Order: sequence, then C-alpha cells, then structure tokens
Amino acid sequence: MTDVTLAPGGWVIAKDMGDDAADVQRVLAGDVDAYSALVDRYYDRCARFAIRMLGNRDDAEDALQATFLRAYRALNRYQERDRFSAWLYRILVNQCRSVAARRAHRDRVFVREEALLLNAPDTSPGWSGEDEEFVQRVLAELEPLLREAFLLKYIEEMSYEEMSALTGVGVSALKMRVKRACDRLRERWERIKND
Amino acid sequence: MIDSEQHPYVEWIAREARRPVVVDLDARARLMAAVRAEPRPRRRPGWQRMFEPRAFNVSPLGSALLAAGLVGIGVLAGAFAFDRDGRQAGQPPAAVASRLPVSDSLVKFVFIAPQAGSVSLVGDFNGWDATKNPLRRSGDSGLWTVQLPLSAGRHVYAFVVDGTWNRDPAAPVTPEDAFGHANSVRIVARGVAL
Repeated sequence: MTDVTLAPGGWVIAKDMGDDAADVQRVLAGDVDAYSALVDRYYDRCARFAIRMLGNRDDAEDALQATFLRAYRALNRYQERDRFSAWLYRILVNQCRSVAARRAHRDRVFVREEALLLNAPDTSPGWSGEDEEFVQRVLAELEPLLREAFLLKYIEEMSYEEMSALTGVGVSALKMRVKRACDRLRERWERIKND
Repeated sequence: MIDSEQHPYVEWIAREARRPVVVDLDARARLMAAVRAEPRPRRRPGWQRMFEPRAFNVSPLGSALLAAGLVGIGVLAGAFAFDRDGRQAGQPPAAVASRLPVSDSLVKFVFIAPQAGSVSLVGDFNGWDATKNPLRRSGDSGLWTVQLPLSAGRHVYAFVVDGTWNRDPAAPVTPEDAFGHANSVRIVARGVAL
C-alpha cells in the first residue's frame, strides 16, 4: 500500500499521482483488485472528511460507499490530466451534500456517541474523547456550506484554487465562507469566555 | 482585534479535527464486495475519447488571434443571417414576444416551511452562497418567498432551511450527475416574469 504524502500547499505528491494512474489503468484492463489499492490509499482520508462533515458513522459510511462505487462506475471517464484525489474528492463532497440533504428529511439529531466511538485513541497528553466529542459538536453547529469550506481549508489543507476546482464555487466566495466559519467559532469562544 | 483565522480557539478546533478517525474495518470489505458485484468499467473506444472536452494552452498572441477570428466569423454569419433590425433574413416582422429585450426575467421562488427559522436560496446564479438570496416569511402562513432577476435558460438551485439543503418539492430535480448530486431545476424564458 502506498501512503498518501502531502505536499506543501497541495494534496498529493507526483509519485502518488503516478500510482493512481497506474491503478486506474489496471482496473480498466480488468484487474478489479487494483481498485482496492485506490480504496486503501484514500479511504481513511475520505472517512475523516465525511465524519467531520456529517457527524455520524452511518451517514459517513453511506457517503463513502456511494463515493467509491460512483468513482468505480465512472472510472473510464476519469482523465489522467486531473489528479485522481481531486476527482474523488469532488465526488465525495457531492455525496456528503446529498446524504446531508436526505438526512434533513429524517432528523437533525447529531449523534455524539457515534462520533465518539469512531475516533482513534491518541496517546498525546491532554487529549480525551471529550475533546473529540466537543469538536464534532462545534463543527455541527456551523452551517453546512461554512463547515464544508472550513474542513476543506483547514482539515484537508487545500488551497483556495483547489477548493474552487472541487466545488465549482469562486475563490472569493470560498474565502468568505472560511472567514465566516472562523468568525462563528471565534464568537462561540467569546460566548464561552463570558459565561 | 485578532483575525478570526489566526485565533487560538479556531486553531485548536482545526488541530483536533485533523486527527485521524478509525473506521469500521468491515466497511472496506463491504465496499469491495459491492465493487466486485458491479459490471467492470471498460476503456472507452478511441473515437469517443477523441471527442471528449479537453483543455489546451494558448499563448496570449494565439488567444488574441483566435478571439479575432471568432468575432469575424460571428460578424459574417450575422450579416448573412439577419436584417438590420435583427429579424432573420426573409422572415416577416417578428411577434411582439420575440422582440422583448434579452434581459433578466423576474423569477419568484416559494418554499413552505412553517417551523423554519431561516430559508435561503442557493443556486448556480449566486455561487451557491446561502447569504445572497434569503427568503422572506409571509405572515404566519409558513410561506417563504423571494424574487430575483435571472437570465434566460436553465438554472439549478436548492433551498437552505435552517442550514440544511432541500430540493424544491414543486420543481423537477436534476438527474444525478456523475458525482451523484441532484438539485431542483427552473427553466427561465426570455424577458418574462414568472
């Protein structure tokens, strides 16, 4: 398995892009197992985004399953001049929006317990599941479009240009969303401090 | 005043949210089982790939020449196809409707949400920005409306109700695209109020 390596300001270094293209070609040549290499390479990263975006395991797994299946079905339309990771993330972001829209009809309850169970134990001092639960709750309070922009910028560490290519939204609108998300968080902090 | 994006609390939230998550190991197995049950994707024939859209780089001089050429073609085509008053050559004077200026139409969007605290319109016309076109509640009826000028053509949109996305139940939805996303569709005619 090849780990994804972050480049400064970017998402995946060229070596991985070559691996992705080779795996895509293997799948198109009939080697279905080559797809599991792509799944292994991106599943955890996509899972983090889906869980942070949707707030619970069941919805996140639905979005992930739909994302990787749709990518598989559309693999012959993937073009190598695009980064596979960016293409996949575009599908993921749309799937998360769809799942969130469906969920809106169901309920708006944020399942904190599930988010707590999902997260990796961490041995660094000062961390506890309570922090994790708290962070999920804070993210859930942001409007979906603000949360999406905040996650892409600060958790996936994408550039605004990458975010724009991925969401189809202009750079200035994305900057505004990120700023508003940060403003909301800061205002939340001010309220906590003054309580 | 500290910039929000540099605020220690914001940085702490981001740092915590960057921590990896543990996912159900069986989920990948379920996914790969579903993948294996799918028909295999196959390479498209070469002739199909020839006609797919592609990007190419053009030098500034090249792009200027290309633009000038396209303008020239447009001028020549217009000169042969239309009279001076804009009618197609050889046709009688156009009906009044077709003489309406090619301008925005005033389009009304309605959403019923008696319990909602806020409703806004997002779409390809406002960059999917939920702040640009909020709907106003009409009395206590639960009816939310907004009117805005839209250019003629097909527009894709959704409503954001208390922060969650909703399709318009009174409008057709887009077929899911390659990325599995569907919204509502409004076709706007030229120069009319809907």
